[in-house]
Amino acid sequence: MDYPIWNLAMGGGVLIGIVAIAHVLVSHFAVGGGIAIAVVETLSVRRGDGALRQLARRTSLMLILVSTVFGAISGVGIWVTIGLVHPAATSALIHNFVWAWATEWVFFILEVATALAYYATWDKVRPRTHLLLIWLYAFAAYMSLVIIQGIIAFMLTPGRWLETGAFWDGFLNPSYLPGLLLRTGIALFLAGAYMTLAALREPDASARARLVRLLAAFQVVGVLVAYGGYRWWEAVLPEHVRAIFLGGSPLLASLATTRHLLLWALAAYLVFALLALLAPRAERWPVAVVAMVLAFTFFGGYERLREGVRKPFVIRDAMFSNGILVGEIPSLNQRGVLTKAVWAAREDDGTPTGKGRAVFRAQCASCHTMNGYLSIRRLVEPADADTLRGILTIMREDGEQLVQSPRGQPLPTRQLNYPFMPPFVGTEEELEALVSYLVTLKPTQVGEVSREQ
Amino acid sequence: MNSNLIPAVDPVPLPGPPWLFHLLWMVTFFVHLLFVNAALGGSLLAALAGTGKPAGREAAATLVEINAWGISFAITFGVAPLLFMQVLYGRFFYSAAILVAWWWLGMLGLLLIGYYLNYVAKFRLRAGKPAGAVLAVEAVCFLGVALIQVVVNLLHLQPHRWEGVADRAWAALTDPTLVPRYLHFVLAAVAMTAAILAWVALRRANAGGDRHTASEVAKYGVRAALFATLLQLVDGFWLLFALPEDVLKAFMRGGAATMVPLTLGILAGVTLLMVLAGVTDPLAQGTRVRRAAELIVLAMAVMVVTRHQLRDLYLAPVRAAEEMAVRPQWGILVVFLVTFVVGAAITAVAMVRAAKDRPAPGERAA
Repeated sequence: MDYPIWNLAMGGGVLIGIVAIAHVLVSHFAVGGGIAIAVVETLSVRRGDGALRQLARRTSLMLILVSTVFGAISGVGIWVTIGLVHPAATSALIHNFVWAWATEWVFFILEVATALAYYATWDKVRPRTHLLLIWLYAFAAYMSLVIIQGIIAFMLTPGRWLETGAFWDGFLNPSYLPGLLLRTGIALFLAGAYMTLAALREPDASARARLVRLLAAFQVVGVLVAYGGYRWWEAVLPEHVRAIFLGGSPLLASLATTRHLLLWALAAYLVFALLALLAPRAERWPVAVVAMVLAFTFFGGYERLREGVRKPFVIRDAMFSNGILVGEIPSLNQRGVLTKAVWAAREDDGTPTGKGRAVFRAQCASCHTMNGYLSIRRLVEPADADTLRGILTIMREDGEQLVQSPRGQPLPTRQLNYPFMPPFVGTEEELEALVSYLVTLKPTQVGEVSREQ
Repeated sequence: MNSNLIPAVDPVPLPGPPWLFHLLWMVTFFVHLLFVNAALGGSLLAALAGTGKPAGREAAATLVEINAWGISFAITFGVAPLLFMQVLYGRFFYSAAILVAWWWLGMLGLLLIGYYLNYVAKFRLRAGKPAGAVLAVEAVCFLGVALIQVVVNLLHLQPHRWEGVADRAWAALTDPTLVPRYLHFVLAAVAMTAAILAWVALRRANAGGDRHTASEVAKYGVRAALFATLLQLVDGFWLLFALPEDVLKAFMRGGAATMVPLTLGILAGVTLLMVLAGVTDPLAQGTRVRRAAELIVLAMAVMVVTRHQLRDLYLAPVRAAEEMAVRPQWGILVVFLVTFVVGAAITAVAMVRAAKDRPAPGERAA
């Protein structure tokens, strides 16, 4: 929070979500597609099947254009975006996992080199060499997933790292393997779904049915693996995280709904994949597109859920989504949040409202926009100064309660009064200043504030 | 300067010895730069080649073919130096990027458009269709990417400018070294790619290609490299003397550590100029053309060292009291180093095999 603040009207979280969803849909295809193309070409060489060869060839161009171009740039894009929105968290992740990322980077190089060489050597090299290239690609792409999964899972379940700060404790965290299994399944079924569209361009009906059946098998296996991974993932989550979206009375109804939606989408997708497996001749592109949309719904829903249940943290139990570390709550309560949030403090013009605006920028603006996503104006509309003061005081007590929890254990966020918001951190004066600023955002005051700004 | 605005050092210790991060950063940045130059210089040279004539078309086709690989590797090789830089100077780098956030994010859009346009140009040139406009837009995209990179790099070196840029983003463009620094990169990119283009044309002629077209392409490459290097010598001194006084003085007083790389770079540039000026018939002077390409790569290597040293000098006053704890993660560090060596070897073997393996007569191809 001592970094400059990017005032993004749509909200930083929304931007990260857009870039991340676009990237994962492509990057998981890059992983699964590598395995699927390798299998398809291996079978084509063994069986002398021209239709299989044609499918591998057609898909290899898609692999390059989608994976090595869009995938590579959107991958850097996530990094750029989180660096702009959550610089402190990005810095923390880099300091803990730079060697893991560097190892992943070696696999990127192998992945990109083999993908480009594979596409460029159709009709040029012997089949053995061509197969070597695609299997190396598949290996490298899968290894990049093996590594990045450790870092993604760490943000939700840092496990023993909270106690030891050791690399392997953070990397091999409780949700690492379940998440890896889940993503392996997703990669397989996405590859099957994308490649089915390419297979449907095969003119010969019986060859087309053969291809569709093979790809349907990929999807059925992928769905079953993903389902197993998903259930395992739910099972290893800490109790405080599970309480958010599981059980009879989940804390966040919207995430419980997301969970139902994604599981139903997966079930429906399985039906489509089984139909394609049993009746491949009946497969048509609109059906394949619907199946793909269901696959996206499951995957997108899971990503939304995984991000959602991390609230109010960016690194669970260590760093809140506004960049404040759990361990610095006592000192910031004493000396004031604006002593650390120096960029936000530039907004402090010496008046209580100015100081309040600065406190808002420091603690609230990373999630709340003025009028858009989680609009603060809409949220404060029904509240008066006393209500706001009461809420912020309780949120401050929430922070003090968290600090009392045993070190190295998952924090009991479900027992908080506001379990999805970072606690209020700062002095009494800053709290009062924030109240006076929030009051000015109520509809009757908006015109005045706009003129002031 | 309001030094309070510089974020605190990350509380997590450095996960490896600082010298190792610096070394890996410079090595991987150098490789990244080779591909960046190919992408930037290649797109500019392709746009300027004039695809109406056969030689221009051949030059453009060669460059977009190289770029189909070059852009991918420029992006992929950019990941590593970005990683190592963030570990050491993240607090400066993130701050600079956030201050010009939309530009920094927009860079990705330009990259994406430029990359896809390269494929559009590649397929259009293969099909015998005009591609001049596509190549021009591609070049503009990569020029934009380079400008944004230079702006953010300059800004992260100068925390005293941050407040001004926070108040008015356009102030990011007002540094006196911006123009010469930007030109320094663009001209180096053009010179390197032009020399490589000449060398590729020469090899194609030697392999039995159309000698007349190859000769024209090679001459285009040599002329462009010569012109860019001439301008570079002027621009290099402009950049040197446009440096802030304290940085320039500290650099000049750095002894052999700073003066040897700089002198080597200047000598390489002057020698390069003489080598290029002596090329009248590139196809008959293959060794000379190859020497030119080697000299440019040498100059780039030493300039990467100089650039690194200048960064430390720029940031020295604000880092004077910096204390970074070091707690190496030896296990994963060894995993990385082994993967790095083995991965590089496997990649090299795979690429050589892809380039050399050909079916015997009567044998089936993949």
